Amino acid sequence: MLTTALILLPVAGALVVAAFPLPRTATAGLAFLVALMEVGLWIVAASRFDFDDGGLQLGTSREWVESLGISYSVGFYGFSLWLTGATVVVSAAAIGYALWIGRDRPRAYYALMLLLTGAVVATFAAQDLLLFYVSFEAMLIPLYVLVGVWGGARRMAATLTFVVYTMAGSLLMLAAVVAFGVTQGTFSLVDSGTSDNVWIFLGFAIAFAIKAPLFPFHGWLPLSYREAPVEVSAVLSGIVSKTAIYGFLRIAIPKFPEPADDLAVLVLVLAGAGLVYGSLLAFRAADLRGIVAYSSMAQMGLITLGIFAFDDLGLDGAVLQSVAHALVSASMFLLVGMVERRCGTGELDALGGMARGRPVLATVLLTTGIIALAVPGSATFAGEFLIMAGVYDQGWGYAAIVALGIVLAAMYVLRLISAALHVRPGSAVRDEALDLRPGELALVLPMILVLLVLSAWPALVSQSSFPGDRAARAVAKNYAASGGRAFIGSDLIFVIHPAVGARPAGPHP
Amino acid sequence: MVAGAWICLFAPLAGSLAITLAGQTISRRMAGWISTLTTFVAFGGALVAFFGTWAEDPDQRENLSTAYTWLAAGDFDVGFQILVDPLSTVMMLVVSGVGGLIVWYSMGYMAGDDEERRYFAYMSLFVFSMLLLVEAGNFLLLLVGWGLVGLASYLLIGFWHSRPEAVAAAKKAFVMNAVGDATFALGIVLLVWQAGTLEFFGVFDQADSLSPTMVNLVALGLLGGAVAKSAQVPLHTWLPDAMEGPTPVSALIHAATMVTAGVYLLVRAHPIFEAAPDIQHLAAVLGTVTLLLAGLVALVQWDIKRVIAYSTMSQIGYMFMAAGLGAYGFAIFHLMTHAFFKALLFMAAGVVIHHLGGEQDMRRMGGLKSVLPRTHIAFLVGTLALVGIPPFAGFWSKDAILGSALATGGALGWTLYIAGLVGALLTGAYAFRLYYAVFRGKQAEVEHVPYGPEASHPPTTHAEGPLSMLVPVGILTVLSTVGGLVYIPGVWQPFTDWVGQTAEALVEPTVAEDYLTSAFAVTFGLVGLYLARRAFSAGRQLVTRPDAWRVLEHKLYFDELYDALFFRPAVALSLALRRDVEEPLIERSMDEIGSGTIQVGGEVARVQSGLLRTYALTIAVAVAVLVVVFVAVR
Repeated sequence: MLTTALILLPVAGALVVAAFPLPRTATAGLAFLVALMEVGLWIVAASRFDFDDGGLQLGTSREWVESLGISYSVGFYGFSLWLTGATVVVSAAAIGYALWIGRDRPRAYYALMLLLTGAVVATFAAQDLLLFYVSFEAMLIPLYVLVGVWGGARRMAATLTFVVYTMAGSLLMLAAVVAFGVTQGTFSLVDSGTSDNVWIFLGFAIAFAIKAPLFPFHGWLPLSYREAPVEVSAVLSGIVSKTAIYGFLRIAIPKFPEPADDLAVLVLVLAGAGLVYGSLLAFRAADLRGIVAYSSMAQMGLITLGIFAFDDLGLDGAVLQSVAHALVSASMFLLVGMVERRCGTGELDALGGMARGRPVLATVLLTTGIIALAVPGSATFAGEFLIMAGVYDQGWGYAAIVALGIVLAAMYVLRLISAALHVRPGSAVRDEALDLRPGELALVLPMILVLLVLSAWPALVSQSSFPGDRAARAVAKNYAASGGRAFIGSDLIFVIHPAVGARPAGPHP
Repeated sequence: MVAGAWICLFAPLAGSLAITLAGQTISRRMAGWISTLTTFVAFGGALVAFFGTWAEDPDQRENLSTAYTWLAAGDFDVGFQILVDPLSTVMMLVVSGVGGLIVWYSMGYMAGDDEERRYFAYMSLFVFSMLLLVEAGNFLLLLVGWGLVGLASYLLIGFWHSRPEAVAAAKKAFVMNAVGDATFALGIVLLVWQAGTLEFFGVFDQADSLSPTMVNLVALGLLGGAVAKSAQVPLHTWLPDAMEGPTPVSALIHAATMVTAGVYLLVRAHPIFEAAPDIQHLAAVLGTVTLLLAGLVALVQWDIKRVIAYSTMSQIGYMFMAAGLGAYGFAIFHLMTHAFFKALLFMAAGVVIHHLGGEQDMRRMGGLKSVLPRTHIAFLVGTLALVGIPPFAGFWSKDAILGSALATGGALGWTLYIAGLVGALLTGAYAFRLYYAVFRGKQAEVEHVPYGPEASHPPTTHAEGPLSMLVPVGILTVLSTVGGLVYIPGVWQPFTDWVGQTAEALVEPTVAEDYLTSAFAVTFGLVGLYLARRAFSAGRQLVTRPDAWRVLEHKLYFDELYDALFFRPAVALSLALRRDVEEPLIERSMDEIGSGTIQVGGEVARVQSGLLRTYALTIAVAVAVLVVVFVAVR
C-alpha cells in the first residue's frame, strides 16, 4: 500500500494542480507541498523497511491483464528504496527551485514535474516488466514538454534530439520486453526466470545505455542538459539517469546473467571510455552547465563500471555512488542556476570573483564541489573506492581508469569552483549580484546535509543496498570454489557456473 | 587513554564546526580563540594518550578503538577506528602541540584580515584532518585523513583567492596530491583483494605471505602517495608555489606537519616496505635526490619563504632517506625536530614580512638584526638547528640519519652518505645566505611597493608583533635549542626506543659511527656557512655561473616539463575530442535536424511532424522486426 501511495501521491497531486486554476504562487506552493509530503511518505516507508532483509518488501501485486501475464506489481529492495529516497529529495528541491524563481504557465509546469516524479518512483518500484516499461516511457513525456516549452533558446533542437534518442531506446526496450515476456510466459520480474538470449539483453542494455547515458550513446546529453530549465536538468542528471542503473540492476543483469557476463567486457570498456571522455570534455567545457553535464556522464560511466564488476564491492559501491551523485548533481545544477540568474550567463570567461562578499554562495558551492570531486572522506569517495576495488576483479586496467577519473575530477571541479568564485570579478558579475538568499539556501542545504551524513557514515547505504550479500555469501563461495563465478545481491542472486550455466541461487535463506 | 585520543581527534573538528556555524555572530578574535583553544585541548588529549600509553605494559602499548563501521560492502568492512600506540602518540603530540602554537601565532598574524573566521575554520579543519591521518587504525581511514589534509591545504593556499597566483598554486597542489591519492588508493585496493582487510595489523601480519609482485605494487602505490604529499621528486613542484598561502599556513601545513605525512606513512607501513626492499630503497633514493636538488635550487631563490620551502623539501629528503634505510626512529626524530625549527623559521620570517609591510623579496631586506633583535635570535637559532650545529635540535637528528647511512654501508649506503654530507654543505650555504641577506648588512630602504601575496598588509605597529606571536616563537626557539636532547648517542636514546616499539629499526649506527659522522656533517655545514659568509662579504652570489643560475632559477625546468608532458596534452586531447568527436559525430548530426527545423520557419511544423511520422512508422516496423529477431535468434 505504501509503495502504491508513493507512486500515486505525486500523480494525484499533478491532477489537482492541473485541474484547479489557483493563483500562480498557490499552484507552486501546492506542488511543493505535495513534493514534501512525498519525502515524508518515503521516510515512513523507510522506517517500516527492514534493511537487513534482502527480499522484496512493501510489495503489492494485483492481476492486471491475466491472459497476458501482466500484473500491477510493485515493491522495493534495499537498493531501490535508496534510489527512491534520492528521487523524492531531488524532486522536492527541483520543485522548490521552480517555486522560488516562478515558472510561467504554472499549472502545466508543476503538474508535469509531479507526474515526472511519480513516473520515476514507479520505475524504481515496478516488479512487472510492462509496468516498468510504461513508467519508463511515462517519464519521457513530461520531460519532452518541460524541455521543449520552458527550455532555453535552442530548446526545440534539444527536444528533438532528446526525442529521437530516447525513442530509439524505447523501441529497443519495447521489443525486448515483449520478446522476454513471450518467451517466459509472464511479465512478472519476480516470477520470471532467466534468459540466455543475447539479443534481448542487448535490447535492454542499449536502452539503459541511452538513458544513463553511456558513451557513445550520449548524443542527447549536451543539448538537453544545457537547454532544459536548470531544475529539470537537475532531475534529469540526478534521478532520471538512475532509472538506467535500476534497469541494469533489476533487469539486464539478473534476468540475463550469462549474456551480461559474456558482454561485460564490452560494457566495461564503454563505461571506462565514457568516464575518461566525459571527464576530459568537462575539463575544457566553456560554461558551468557543460562541466556539470559532462561530469555527470563521467559519473554514469563510473557507476556502470561498479555494476559490471559483478561483486559485492562494485554493486554496493554503485548504489552508494548513485545516491550520492543524484544529490551532488542536483545541488550542482541548482547552484549553477542560481549563479546564472545573478550573472545572466554561465560562460566561465564572464564569471569569477563571486566569493568576495558572498560567503554563503562560496561556502555552499565549495562544499558541493569538494564532494563532487570525491575528496577522501566524502560519500562519493566511499562509492568510488568501492567501485575501484570491485572492478579490480575484472581487470586492473579498469581500476586504473577509476584512479585516472579521480585526478581528472579534481581538475574539472576545481576549474569550475575557481572560475565562478575566485580571482577578479568577471564582466558578468556585478556588485549588485547578491549572496544566496535564505530560500535558495534552504533548497540546497538539505541535500548537502544528507551528503555530509552519508560522508560520515557511507555504510548506511552500502551495507543495506543488497543485504542478502551476507546471507548468500556462503552459497556464492561454494560456487566460486568449484570454479564458477558468482555475483550476489538480495534475492537477485545469480551464480554463473561453467558446468550448470546460469541459474538463480536465491531467494536467499 | 583511548578517550584522550578521541578527544584529541574531535576537539579541532568541533572548533571548526563551531566557527563555521556561528558565522558572523562571533567576533574574529573569538574565532581565533576557539581555534587556538580547541587545538590545545587536542594537545591535552594527546598528552593523556601519550602518558596513558607510557603507563601501559610495554607489550600492551597498541590499542585499537573502533567507533563504528564506516564503510561496508559484502564481507569487506572498514571501521572508523583509531590506533593509539607509541608512534601515533608522538605524532599526536607534535601535530597538536606545534599546531596549537602556530594557530595561536595566527591570531596575531592574521589580525585585521577580512576573513579571519574562514581562516580559523580552515585551520581547525586541517588540525582535525592531520590528527585523523596519524591516529587512523586502518589504511582507508588513513587515506581519508590524507585527502582531507590535502583539502585543507588547498583551501589555505588559496586563502587569498583574489590573487590568480594563489588560486593557481592551490589547484596545482590539489591536483598533484590527487595523483598521489590515486596511487595510494590503487595500492590499498590491491590490499583489499590480497589481504582481505585494511586494518594495519591484519595487513602487516600477512605482509610476508603476499606475492613479491603484489607487495611491490602495494608499496609503490603507497610510495606514490607519500612522494606527492611530502613534495619529493618527481611530484615536488607544488610545494614552492604553495607559499602563496599565509605564512602561518606555510609553517603548519607546508613545513611542520602535512608535508611530513609521507614520512609517517613510510614508517607506519614499514612491514610492507620491508617486504618490498627495492621500493623501500627507492624511497631513500628519491629522498636523497630531492635533498640535493632542493638544496641547489634554494641557493638562487629570492623569496624568503621559497628558500625555506626548498629547505623543507630538502629536509624531508633526509627523512625519506632514513625511512628508506629502515632507520624509522631517526626519521620520526628528524620529523619532530624539523617541525620545531622549520615552524620557527617560517614564523620568524612571518614577523619579518609583517614588519616590512608584506615584503618577501630578500633583496629588499637587510640589517634587521638591530630592528628586530628578538626575531633575529629566533631566526638564528632556527638556522643553526637547520644546518645542524650542536647543540641545536637538528644536529642530533640529521647526524643520526647520516650515521645510519654509514652503518648501512655498501654502494647504496655510501652513496647516500656522501650525498647527505653534500646536502649538509648546501644547507649551510643556503640557510646562511638567507640569514645574512635578511639580518646583516645595510638596513633595507622601506620606500617601495612590497612584493608578495601579503603585500596588502599594512606594516605592523608592534616592532615584532603582539604577544600572541612572540610567545609561540619563543617557545619554539627553546624547543629548537633543546628539542634534540632526547637522543644522545652513547648516553641515552629514549625517543628512538619509544618509536622503535612500533617500528623497530633495521639499522643502527654505532656510537663511533655516529660521532664520526657528526664531525663530518658539522664540518660540511660550517663550510657552507663560510661560503655564504664570504659571498655575502664580497657582495656576490653563491652561484656565479650565469647558465647554472638560469637552470636553477627555473628549478631544473620541472614545471616546464610537466606542462609539456601532462597539462598541455590533456588540454589538447580534450579540445581535440570536442572538435573531432563530440561536435561532428555526436552533436552535429542531431543539430542539423534541430537548426533546420528552426530556420525553415513556416515549414517547421510540417517538417517536424513529417519527421516524427516517418519516425513512428519506422518505429512500428522496427519493433515488429526486433521482436521476431529476438525470439527467433536463440
